[in-house]
Amino acid sequence: MSIEAIGVTKRFGQFAALDNVGLTIPSGELVALLGPSGSGKTTLLRIIAGLEFADSGLIRFHGSDITGQAAGERRVGFVFQHYALFRHMTVFENIAFGLKVRPRSARPSKKDIQAKVKDLLRLIQLENLAYRYPSQLSGGQRQRVALARALAVEPSVLLLDEPFGALDAKVRLELRRWLRQLHDEIHITSVFVTHDQEEALEVADRVVVMNQGKIEQIGSPDEVYNQPATPFVYRFLGNVNLFHGRIDEGHALIQNTAPSTAPTDNQGTLVYVRPHALEIRRQPNGTGHFRATIKHINSAGPLVKVEAVTEWGGPVHVEMSQERFQDLQLIKNEPVFITPRDVKVFEADRTA
Amino acid sequence: MATAITLRNPAVATPRTRAATEESSLVRWLLIAIAVLFLVIFLFLPLAMVFSSALAKGWSFYLASLRQPDAWAAIRLTLIAAGIAVPANLIFGVAAAWAIGKFDFFGKSVLITLIDLPFAVSPVVSGLIYVLLFGLQGLLGPWLAAHDLKIVFAVPGIVLATIFVTFPFVARELIPLVQAQGNDEEEAALTLGASGWQTFFRITLPNIKWGLLYGVILCNARAMGEFGAVSVVSGHIRGRTNTMPLHIEILYNEYQFVSAFAVASLLALLALVTLLVKTLIEWKARQQRTQLEAAAAAEGSL
Repeated sequence: MSIEAIGVTKRFGQFAALDNVGLTIPSGELVALLGPSGSGKTTLLRIIAGLEFADSGLIRFHGSDITGQAAGERRVGFVFQHYALFRHMTVFENIAFGLKVRPRSARPSKKDIQAKVKDLLRLIQLENLAYRYPSQLSGGQRQRVALARALAVEPSVLLLDEPFGALDAKVRLELRRWLRQLHDEIHITSVFVTHDQEEALEVADRVVVMNQGKIEQIGSPDEVYNQPATPFVYRFLGNVNLFHGRIDEGHALIQNTAPSTAPTDNQGTLVYVRPHALEIRRQPNGTGHFRATIKHINSAGPLVKVEAVTEWGGPVHVEMSQERFQDLQLIKNEPVFITPRDVKVFEADRTA
Repeated sequence: MATAITLRNPAVATPRTRAATEESSLVRWLLIAIAVLFLVIFLFLPLAMVFSSALAKGWSFYLASLRQPDAWAAIRLTLIAAGIAVPANLIFGVAAAWAIGKFDFFGKSVLITLIDLPFAVSPVVSGLIYVLLFGLQGLLGPWLAAHDLKIVFAVPGIVLATIFVTFPFVARELIPLVQAQGNDEEEAALTLGASGWQTFFRITLPNIKWGLLYGVILCNARAMGEFGAVSVVSGHIRGRTNTMPLHIEILYNEYQFVSAFAVASLLALLALVTLLVKTLIEWKARQQRTQLEAAAAAEGSL
């Protein structure tokens, strides 16, 4: 079932949580709402769920307007960041809850409920914990129970609010792969909120990047990462070096003078470079380079992270492979030349 | 360059040291002794005194004191007052805790302060308020008299005073609990299709039941034991408007000590029964939990 949000605005007092947001989510997709805290992503999710109501705007499910419908009528499965399991019920009772509270005419028989819960327990791989209480489960197990509980009512859309936010790093990684697999199996339209760009890029079919109550960009993980529409998206989706520079005959020139001289002329702009798009050399190569001094080296992990100070005194972060690092044999306080391989300039930053 | 980290040789025995928060044994015993002494002097001795005084003239006299028509009327009136005040404050307390804990609204802090008012005001004053409001010379007195309604110096006044005095017990117990638990579980229930009532009875109520029970127990104890406010509005008409505490006072003032203590022992017994019920319910809940855990373990081993 497709989800549409049209012109949704929501204020909390003076604070605009959502400012005229429009979004279409096609049926069967797994979409991430990505943004920093306060960007309105959770508010949007809660408005889609019917837990919060917009000041203006429409929500449509599969083309029909459900803006005024209560949460219970929308057939949404909602998974909360802190699980929100019913603490006085066992795992079994938790999952069965949505079926048991149905009006008598729509309620499945006891046997059917039992079979359904058993199926879901198998799906979340917790068959032998049916009679445990939530307090006796680990964080990852609780979140899977919460997911099974949401799926038990056969929702038309699945909404997850920072589903892995409260888990430790390793479990988080495992669970998000599992979620991806699960989605590939059951193909339910799913929206999840996250502030972790890695999570969004890895799990989602489509990423919606939000900032200050507005949508900055909607696109596939590849699109938002490689063709960011705004400086915010570029900064939010990875580490970045920021330089003052100017545009000269179609080329971006990074500032290469001392900071005391005016950094921008009429065509001054900001130049963005990812740490892995910078190359460190011992020898200058032609013109596209600047000087820097190595300040710190962190060689733990798949990439070696180098911090340096540029000739105009600014910090610069460079990432390189272990092999390259072995070849270079860099040492602290060593002067080097840095060449940008790939830079990004945004029209909006032009001061002209 | 040699680093200056020396590891303690494990072969050398180190003297047992106290944990940072642990006191010396002298201090510990002193604190325990003080606590026990306090309990004995202020709790156990008076309790024993009540029962021994009540039975000073034997069982038959004890039972006869309770069977006295005035005593019997006082017991009945106390049960009626508590029987109305406790359910009323139960409903109010749950409603207030729900409103304060789950929603933000204008005047919330005023409401919280108002709930505490009966604790802050002396019971005598709260009794007087009802006399000034409903008494013959009071604000609503002439109107009530014209319609032949009697509140002060009658049962309705006693019930009203009891409700007022026991007002905060349930609400006070529940508000912090409801606030701490937040809205998540209720929201989850709503998204799963539960109605408002289903959410309340299946999710909210089970989560607050221990606090609720405790609040009701305290409320009931105070409702039955209230003296000051009830004394002002009662008018002390024997056999008609005397509750148990008022009856005990009258007997005591007439030097009928044994009868006074006989009725007092009933109130003391009530307190003991209350404690017993609370312990029993808690034990039962724990047992149920272990049974379920055992079932889970059995299933896991299959």
